[in-house]
Amino acid sequence: FTPLRGGLSGGLSQPAGWQSLLSFTILFLAWLAGFSARLFAVIRFESIIHEFDPWFNYRATHHLTTNGFYEFLNWFDERAWYPLGRIVGGTVYPGLMVTAGLIHYVLNLLHVTVHIRDVCVFLAPVFSGLTSISTFLLTKELWNQGAGLMAACFIAIVPGYISRSVAGSFDNEGIAIFALQFTYYLWVKSVKTGSVFWSIGCCLSYFYMVSAWGGYVFIINLIPLHVFVLLLMQRFSKRVYIAYSTFYIIGLVLSMQIPFVGFQPIRTSEHMAAAGVFVLLQVYAFLQYLKDRLTKQEFQTLFFLGVSLAAGAVFLSVIYLTYTGRSSYAKIHIPIIASVSEHQPTTWVSFFFDLHILVCTFPAGLWFCIKNINDERVFVALYAISAVYFAGVMVRLMLTLTPVVCMLSAVAFSSVFEHYLGDDMKRQSPPLEDSSDEDDRKNAVTMLMLMLLMMFAVHCTWVTSNAYSSPSVVLASYNNDGSRNILDDFREAYYWLRQNTDEHARVMSWWDYGYQIAGMANRTTLVDNNTWNNSHIALVGKAMSSNETAAYDIMRSLDVDYVLIIFGGVIGYSGDDINKFLWMVRISPSVASQPQESDYFTPQGEFRVDKAGSPTLLNCLMYKMSYYRFGEMQLDFRTPPGFDRTRNAEIGNKDIKLKHLEEAFTSEHWLVRIYKVKKPENRDRVEHKLRGADTTKQKYTSKKVSGGAEASSEGVFIQERTQLDGT
Amino acid sequence: MASVWAKSLSNLPVLSVFVLLLICLPPGGGQKKKENMLSEKVEQMMEWSSRRSVVRMNGDKFRRFVKAPPRNYSVIVMFTALQPQRQCSVCRQANEEYQVLANSWRYSSAFSNKLFFTVVDYDEGADVFQQLNMNSAPTFMHFPAKGKPKRADTFDLQRIGFASEQLAKWIADRTDVQIRVFRPPNYSGTIALALLVSLVGGLLYLRRNNLEFIYNKTGWAMAALCVVFAMTSGQMWNHIRGPPYAHKNPQNGQVSYIHGSSQAQFVAESHIILLLNAAITMGMVLLNEAATSKGDVGKRRIICLVGLGLVVFFFSFLLSIFRSKYHGYPYSFLIK
Repeated sequence: FTPLRGGLSGGLSQPAGWQSLLSFTILFLAWLAGFSARLFAVIRFESIIHEFDPWFNYRATHHLTTNGFYEFLNWFDERAWYPLGRIVGGTVYPGLMVTAGLIHYVLNLLHVTVHIRDVCVFLAPVFSGLTSISTFLLTKELWNQGAGLMAACFIAIVPGYISRSVAGSFDNEGIAIFALQFTYYLWVKSVKTGSVFWSIGCCLSYFYMVSAWGGYVFIINLIPLHVFVLLLMQRFSKRVYIAYSTFYIIGLVLSMQIPFVGFQPIRTSEHMAAAGVFVLLQVYAFLQYLKDRLTKQEFQTLFFLGVSLAAGAVFLSVIYLTYTGRSSYAKIHIPIIASVSEHQPTTWVSFFFDLHILVCTFPAGLWFCIKNINDERVFVALYAISAVYFAGVMVRLMLTLTPVVCMLSAVAFSSVFEHYLGDDMKRQSPPLEDSSDEDDRKNAVTMLMLMLLMMFAVHCTWVTSNAYSSPSVVLASYNNDGSRNILDDFREAYYWLRQNTDEHARVMSWWDYGYQIAGMANRTTLVDNNTWNNSHIALVGKAMSSNETAAYDIMRSLDVDYVLIIFGGVIGYSGDDINKFLWMVRISPSVASQPQESDYFTPQGEFRVDKAGSPTLLNCLMYKMSYYRFGEMQLDFRTPPGFDRTRNAEIGNKDIKLKHLEEAFTSEHWLVRIYKVKKPENRDRVEHKLRGADTTKQKYTSKKVSGGAEASSEGVFIQERTQLDGT
Repeated sequence: MASVWAKSLSNLPVLSVFVLLLICLPPGGGQKKKENMLSEKVEQMMEWSSRRSVVRMNGDKFRRFVKAPPRNYSVIVMFTALQPQRQCSVCRQANEEYQVLANSWRYSSAFSNKLFFTVVDYDEGADVFQQLNMNSAPTFMHFPAKGKPKRADTFDLQRIGFASEQLAKWIADRTDVQIRVFRPPNYSGTIALALLVSLVGGLLYLRRNNLEFIYNKTGWAMAALCVVFAMTSGQMWNHIRGPPYAHKNPQNGQVSYIHGSSQAQFVAESHIILLLNAAITMGMVLLNEAATSKGDVGKRRIICLVGLGLVVFFFSFLLSIFRSKYHGYPYSFLIK
């Protein structure tokens, strides 16, 4: 067939040439549009890494480019999780860093000198272009070229994908969606052709996906599901057999090469479905082979039925176990997991916000696909149904739903346009009297559809600009006249740390800021966003929520030199540490039982920072550090001094004295405050007079020393003195 | 010698009882009354808890049986707000755990009149809440047999959660009564699955001569679309969060079906969205149908116009709902 078609297109070289030029142009424009839509943050601020996790990825990439690949794989990071450290090479998906490092290497080889930071910042927007190309290829395999081009345009600008791939958000998802779509394209291709070549390509792409993101589990469950459903539909063929057998074996071996994944693919339950389907496929193929040799048709079909039912039961039970395990895991709600807002179910507003018109039209595409079913459309239907389920359960999985929504919406729109935009010449005998009327109708449909698509484009730009382009490292505020103030407190403080503290100084902060401190200030942190050790986090939470003396003991035992906190009371920044404070209290008791959450509330059960607040709160370390010297500050003539703008309250404890800490740095808008932990004095100071102590006091002190569990050094000193007096 | 010892021993209780009586004689009538009252109370409590493992209390009962002093039994009280209009989904979960615990106690071999499980609902005993200066639900409290409840007699729900096992541990700590939590295995899922399988099997058996309907693509497409619509309209959110069906304003009795914030939704709202999404999809399908079908021109024209109307009108309606929820969203289409 292929040579014939090639000959045809060779004969009609002119139209085919135009067509490919057109699709090339459209894809290029989609890439360009997708790239530029992601640049809001760079244009408004500068080329900077965003948020929290990207800072770690950036730091790891930096390490990779300066020390080489093998050094990176063996990297033991002693600057994180002090004093434990972290084995970085074995606990990350290295795909992202290796990709960025490779691009940097190639560019430098070509003498294009570019800083690794710029490679990292622009990696996700560049990959969005590759995603739209792979979406085009996949949709072309499923439907036709027109739908493919439309899908490429959709995915280039859809907010559900932009949310994870703006310039500066240097995160795994940015490259993983490309790998996901490309793997699926190669899979569909290999099922269609049944060639080992495409299947190997699929495995390599899968390997890249495994190296890039934990979401590879979605692939290793969806592809077996596809094969299983094909078997049920009696669409088994040699092509499917070759494709899946090759994919499973080589994909398994390749995926186990990633150190972080290791032996999981043959151990954990989420990979078992793939193994089950592999066995089932072999059995089925064997039966097919026997069928040619034997004649007992009845017996064979019965046998097939039994085997497939058993396999289906195994498959379902594995899936059931996997998901009930997940849900009970969420039910226990370890506070750290509950505190992350991404792990929440999705409302319809989020669907509409991220997908706009696509969410209403993609069911139509699904309908068309099922009505005209074939092997690869089975795949896209399964993809749609499973992805929409997962997106409903968890907001962050909207990301895996977005590509299939774009594809199916493109199918729906392109089949409408195909019928209403096409010229009438193909129609054999249009009734003459109706032709003008029909033209009007066609024009109306086309115009309205185009308007809807235009609204989609406008919506995407608005959402990207307003919701997804904030670096959250640099803040901006707008005055009444529209002029802009940049609040650069975070970087100011991190740079202060970098310049003014000892190179090996240890900085304690809440875990949200760990990656940023390590990345920007290059100082050792105690806890960071890789929340692998709950008890360590709990210890920091306990230090923050205890009173100063108790906190000092903890900080001494952890060798803390500086404490960094975020305080938003001056500018009204709501994401500060006082607002996160209850999480610190909640997480802390999981190791030690002293601070109780109820102690931080007023008797009425409110969390207040003003005079009515609970005394435990008003004297804990976090409160003291946040509001130290704040009582002297009058922000506004209408409000009293010490008025907290975030919580709209006058603080309750204005006279704060710190004994073991001293203020080291406060940024311009007080957003970041850094305290230095004082070293213990060389010799303990005695706070009352040495001589002239009367006898009653002596009794009291000696009693306290004998009774108290914690005999402070001061008490011991007094005891010695009383003994001396006695003799 | 031995017999003498025995005699004096046997005399001892008699003597002590006598002495005791002598001491207690002046207020003896009150004591008796108290004992009567006590046994009456215990009897009453036993009767209630034999009927239901968790005794419901209102304000009066609570004061009489839980707060009033002559008691020789411990009472665990759950203060809660289970009425649907209170919208307390935690209360419902806590209640389930509490029922499990109470049932384990009720049907255990160690069941005695030393410990009772009760519940006070806010809507039945608001005065109790005020009296105890309590303003959050659910709260678990233990009222010991003697004396007033101490600090540790309030269960620390925030910290350790409300799993039955944790509650049992706490109760063991406070009352020395060990309860082994027995969770009734949940058969409902299995039964539903078995029912489904038998239904499908039965259907297949009945139609065994004509299995064409399995190959009916429309049926499968319908099923797939149902799943999709359910998810995109946020039914999973409803399932997990359990919002009310709609909100009725207590002041003027107006019912609002759309939640004002973009962070939440009502059940009714998600149904409306489901219908809108389905209508838009149907419009798209009809548009396609109008162009491909081989019917006569007039009919095709009507189908086309209906499809276009469905898409445009319902999409602008959906956009206006979104706009009303997402404050500051600037765009609209046809309908403000």
